[in-house]
Amino acid sequence: MNTSSNGYVMSFAVGVCVVISTMLAVTANNLKPIQDAAAEFDRQKNVMVAAGLVAPDDKRQRAELEKLYKDRVDEVVVDLSEGKVAAGKSPADVASMKKPEDRLRYRVVAIGKDTNGKADTYVLPISGKGLWSTIYGYLALEHDATHVRGVTFYKHGETPGLGGECENPVWCAQWKGKSILDEEHKLVGVGVKKGKVDPAVPMEKAHKVDGLSGATITSNGITKFVKADLTAFEKYLTGLRQP
Amino acid sequence: MTATTTPPAVRKSGLFGKDELKVIKDPLWDNNPIALQVLGICSSLAVTTRLDKALVMGIGVTLVTALSNVMISAIRNFIPNKIRIIVQLVVVSGVVIVFDQVLKAYMFDLSKQLSVFVGLIITNCIVMGRLEAYAMGNPPWRSFLDGIGNGLGYLWILAVVGSIREIFGSGKLLGMQVVPQALYDAGYVNNGLMVLAPGAFVLLGIIVWIQRSISGYVEK
Repeated sequence: MNTSSNGYVMSFAVGVCVVISTMLAVTANNLKPIQDAAAEFDRQKNVMVAAGLVAPDDKRQRAELEKLYKDRVDEVVVDLSEGKVAAGKSPADVASMKKPEDRLRYRVVAIGKDTNGKADTYVLPISGKGLWSTIYGYLALEHDATHVRGVTFYKHGETPGLGGECENPVWCAQWKGKSILDEEHKLVGVGVKKGKVDPAVPMEKAHKVDGLSGATITSNGITKFVKADLTAFEKYLTGLRQP
Repeated sequence: MTATTTPPAVRKSGLFGKDELKVIKDPLWDNNPIALQVLGICSSLAVTTRLDKALVMGIGVTLVTALSNVMISAIRNFIPNKIRIIVQLVVVSGVVIVFDQVLKAYMFDLSKQLSVFVGLIITNCIVMGRLEAYAMGNPPWRSFLDGIGNGLGYLWILAVVGSIREIFGSGKLLGMQVVPQALYDAGYVNNGLMVLAPGAFVLLGIIVWIQRSISGYVEK
C-alpha cells in the first residue's frame, strides 16, 4: 500500500482524529458528574476556609468536611434590590435563573454559624475580571458585617505564579481584620495596593493589602470587583448592622 | 522513511527477557531522560515544590509516555511519514487530556495546584522524544516498557527534587511536619529559595552533576 499518496494521508488523518475525539468525548461525558461533585465540594470548602471554619490545608476526609458544611453553614438567597433575604427562593432556583437581571438581583450568601447555631459570619460570593479570566472567590465578614473574617479565590485562569498567587493562603491571610467601611461608615471596600502596605498610614492599614508582584492587572481587577460586589450587597449589609 | 522493517536487534524472548529488562533499566540510570538526555527540565522545576505534586506529575508522564508509545507503536507501519509528528501529537494530546479529566474528577485539589502543567505534558520533550526515537521502530510491548522506564526515570528525579524542596522549603514531607518545632524555636527558618523555581534549578544542577559523576558520563 502506498502510504504517501494524498488520499491515504487524508483518510489516515481523519481516521486518527475521529478515534481520538470519540475517546475524549466518552471520557469527558462519563467523568462529568464526578468532576462537578468535586468542584462543588471545593466551593464548599472555600466557603468554610473564608469563614475560618477550616484551615486551607485541612487534611480531613471529604465526608467529614461535607458534614461540617451542612452543620455549620446555611445558604440563603438575598434579594439585593430589597436588601433582604428572599423568602421562598432556594440556592438551586438561583442557579437555574436565566435572565441576567435576575442573576444580578438574587445572590446566594452563606451564613456561617457558631456551635450554638447563631449566625456568626456572612460569606459573600465575589467575582470579576482579572487579567485573563473571571476570578471567583468568597469574602467572609464578621458578624458586625464590617470587618473581614477571611477571603478565598477558588476559580480563576490567571498566570500561575503571578496572578495565580491570589489563591495563596499566605496572601489571603492579610485580608483578615481589614474594614470595608471608613470612619464615617461609608463603604470603601478592601483594595490591593501596588507594592507593600505602609502600616504607618491608617487608611492603608485599615483598607489595603499587599500587591501581588508581577500581577498589577489581576490586583486592580480584584480591588474593583470586591468594591463592586460589596456595593451591591451594601443594602443587605446595612440591614445586618442594625442591632 | 516508514518504519516497515523490523530493527535487526530485536530477538525473540519472553515478556521480561534480557532485552526487555534493559529497556526498562537503561532510562532509570545510564540513560536517564533528565540527567543524561536533559529533557523535561521545565516541568521538573515547576511542579516540585511539594513531593505529592512531583509524584502525581511523574505518574502522569509515565502513563502518558507508556500509553502513547503503545498506541503509536501499534500503528507505526500505517502512519504516513509526511504527517507522523502531527499524528504523534494528536495521540499524546488525547492521552494527556484524558489524564487531566481523571485528575479533575478524583484529585481535584491536586489538579488545581498542578494547573496548566498537566496540559503541558503534551509538550514534554520526553514524550515526543520516546515516540520518535523508540516507538516508531519497535513493537508495542517493548515500546510500553520503554515508556514506563523513561517515565520512572523522570519520576525518581522529580521525587528527589520534590522531597528536598519540601523538607527545606516548608519543613514538611507529603504535608506532614518533619522538621520538629524545637528546631524552629532554636532559630531555624525554612529556606525560601527552595520554594522558588531558582532553588529547583540549582538543586537539579547538583543532582545531574552527582548522577553524571557516578555513572561516568562524559559529554562527547
